[in-house]
Amino acid sequence: MIAAAPHTPDVFGAISHPARRQMLDLLSESERSVNALAGHFQMSRPAVSQHLRVLLDAQLVTEQRHGRERRYQLVAGGLSPVRSWLERYDRFWDDRLQRLQELLQEDAPPPKPMEP
Amino acid sequence: MATNPSNTVYKELLLPQPREQVWRALTTPETLARWMYPNDFEPRLGHRFTFQVPAKPEAEFPGLTVRCEVLECEPPQRLVFSWSAGGAVEDTRVSFQLSPHEAGTRLLFEHSGFDLSQPFGRQALKGAGYGWGAMLDALSTLLNESVKP
Repeated sequence: MIAAAPHTPDVFGAISHPARRQMLDLLSESERSVNALAGHFQMSRPAVSQHLRVLLDAQLVTEQRHGRERRYQLVAGGLSPVRSWLERYDRFWDDRLQRLQELLQEDAPPPKPMEP
Repeated sequence: MATNPSNTVYKELLLPQPREQVWRALTTPETLARWMYPNDFEPRLGHRFTFQVPAKPEAEFPGLTVRCEVLECEPPQRLVFSWSAGGAVEDTRVSFQLSPHEAGTRLLFEHSGFDLSQPFGRQALKGAGYGWGAMLDALSTLLNESVKP
């Protein structure tokens, strides 16, 4: 038997597939069953289940039994590694566009020497 | 949108200047250099150009060349160029959409197409010290300093 390696959720791998991103979008609105999710996709139900398995493994969603049905819920904060990565670019463009605004306010005078 | 895992950065700005003036700031290389970086941009479809992000040794930032190509250019309303800097940031798209507004110009900005499945993304996840994450941190430091009067 192979010992399980310490498990780091593969969040980036999980969201690399557009269908899984769409599933997360749907689950961010409300919890849904496999059937309810499958209604939004062309793929088979087993395929939907496989994608859900990847999302479960990445700890981005949880499942709960309601009678015979399983419902999936988004895990709050599961996407924080992705968000914190994208936030760098977000801040980068905030800075750049802020500079653009300042420059437009100056009404394009000749360039001023900048501090080194 | 707080939970949206989409790999896109969106910005919306309302600028008091007329659209033509904003367009000039986006598409004149000298002006573009003042709010972005030194470049050889030309407002011409298919034109390939680069932004040269200068090195900053004290922040351990080695400098960076961003490779771009003009994908759409419709004065004075729409500018799209590709943005490639390696890793997850290869063939991403930067777009500016300008529309007239009673108060001036509405600018819709979008940077899309980050490939978050790239190893570098996982590297960022593990908090590794190098790669684009670290570069952009250094870049932020650099920007914050250079913005000060």
